[in-house]
Amino acid sequence: MSVAANHTEARIAELKRSRPRSRFLRFSLGCFVALLVASWFVGDFAWRDAFSARRAENLDRFLGDMRPWPLREATPDGMVVKPWDWAVVADWTEERLEEGVSGLDTEGGTEAAIGTLAISVLAIVLAALGSLVFCWFAARNVATPQPFAPSAAPPGPLARWSWRVVVAGTRLVLIVLRALPEYIIAYLLMSMLGSPAWPAVLALAIHNTGILGRLNAETVENVERKPLVALRALGAGRAKIAVIGIWPAIMPRFLLYFFYRWETCVREATVLGILHLASLGWLIDEARSSGPKYDEMVFYILLGSLLVIGGDLVSAVARRLVRRAS
Amino acid sequence: MVPEGDLSRPFPIRTRGAVLLALLGAGVWAFLHLDMSFGQLVPNEGGLDIAKKFFGRAFSPAFASEASSVPPGTPPLLILSLQALKTTVIYAAAAMSLSLLLGLVLGFFASTAWWTGDPVGGRTWFARTIAPAVYGATRLLTGFMRSIHEVLWALLLLAAFGITPLAAVIAIAIPYGGTLAKIFSEMIDEADRRPADALRAAGASGVQIYFFGLVPRALPDMLAYAFYRFECALRSSAVLGFFGFATVGREVEQSFNSNNYGEVWTHLYVLMAVIILFDAWSGQLRKRFVA
Repeated sequence: MSVAANHTEARIAELKRSRPRSRFLRFSLGCFVALLVASWFVGDFAWRDAFSARRAENLDRFLGDMRPWPLREATPDGMVVKPWDWAVVADWTEERLEEGVSGLDTEGGTEAAIGTLAISVLAIVLAALGSLVFCWFAARNVATPQPFAPSAAPPGPLARWSWRVVVAGTRLVLIVLRALPEYIIAYLLMSMLGSPAWPAVLALAIHNTGILGRLNAETVENVERKPLVALRALGAGRAKIAVIGIWPAIMPRFLLYFFYRWETCVREATVLGILHLASLGWLIDEARSSGPKYDEMVFYILLGSLLVIGGDLVSAVARRLVRRAS
Repeated sequence: MVPEGDLSRPFPIRTRGAVLLALLGAGVWAFLHLDMSFGQLVPNEGGLDIAKKFFGRAFSPAFASEASSVPPGTPPLLILSLQALKTTVIYAAAAMSLSLLLGLVLGFFASTAWWTGDPVGGRTWFARTIAPAVYGATRLLTGFMRSIHEVLWALLLLAAFGITPLAAVIAIAIPYGGTLAKIFSEMIDEADRRPADALRAAGASGVQIYFFGLVPRALPDMLAYAFYRFECALRSSAVLGFFGFATVGREVEQSFNSNNYGEVWTHLYVLMAVIILFDAWSGQLRKRFVA
């Protein structure tokens, strides 16, 4: 082997030795992979039953039932399929949008879709406001005895520890708020609050306050320190620094997270109606539990899908505008 | 939870107020549209009674069944709760492994890095026709997968196949696969391009650059995100209990319906403990490895 090749190999070996490695990352990856693999061995997934003839029959029936009902007819010999007719489908679609689930006294699909949207909007606005209350107390650079002090006498242990308790307490509150899924919160609130919209709105707002509070606190912690130290030197207090120094700096990211979470709120809001709260999920569940009318259930699920895709597009455009403006 | 690039400059002052007012206005519109009032926040008598009893038990969860008559052979409450938790974790993990496969495969096709390739040389015929078509189709597919909530996928799969554990797993795996594909592709497309450029200069193909130049760079980000999604999958899996699967949601519903509020808190705390563990874990990963 030539000297040059030897040198190259030595260099490669050296690079390999000095590559960034982290025990924690490897440990996490190892645990994660082990858990994912183990789940297939530990869990009982009833494979034989899942691929039985009964399941295939069930699937067949479901696919037949997905066809809009004016395009099929139940006869003693079974389901008879009528030819596809766009005019009939258009009428059927209009009926679903305006009157809701056939034979039931529900709101129309359009109305339910707008209701779903309204739930998501109100929830995310409340969550954003909530997160703006919490995020300051969870940010270590603000919630400290002498924030942004250029040079000051070190604070006493009592002040230090009480601020640490504030930070830890706020973070604990935020983590608890976001730990429970929206659906479970809505389910619990439903029996306490009579109105149809508040449980859904509050459930989404509570969960997202926890998420946005954490994200905004991280943003606050990452704000460039120097201008804030200058403000402090000019005599600004904690609140003033937060309002005139930090808030303008975090606003772009605040808006990005706002729209990012709003997307998921729209998605969640379509589902919360299953608890008979004012959203599309209500129609989906009514169609499922009456009949079941799978054609109408699929229709409302697809309507929800359109709403979510629309929300994603609006959010993507809004986030691009924010990025361009900042 | 997604890296959003550099946003160091403050928002322009003139538009700032307008944007905030518009968002608040949207909130007010929603409030009016839903016919809401703050008076509705005060529960009626029955609701108040439930609220008092429920929140009264927040710090005294049950350690034994509260039902007046327990059918023989029922395991003790804590065992029941932990069994439901185990099922929740297993469904979430199985769903996560499927959605990771989906996310990695679809994420490749949904990224631009493997075909937009060489900025200097022209693009090949393949990179001008087939590759963008595959990319666009994948984006549409993953968008559709994401746009239907896992609970709704579960309702569809229940209607199609009837109740089986696989339905829960697949219901979670479909939308999560779509989300992972989107996020992974964005992370890879936004990864540091310098190693990729070095590989290109050495003559590597687009696919080689993708797997050896870009993916390793994005890997810590991707792992941190996958952890976060697993935490979400735990929540989704728990919720599917309300639809007949044997996860925590089913225990919560049964206990709440029989007014055994102490039991409800037991199940909630068991679920929260695991979710908070993974929340903290993924938080640490993010803090250490995501810039």
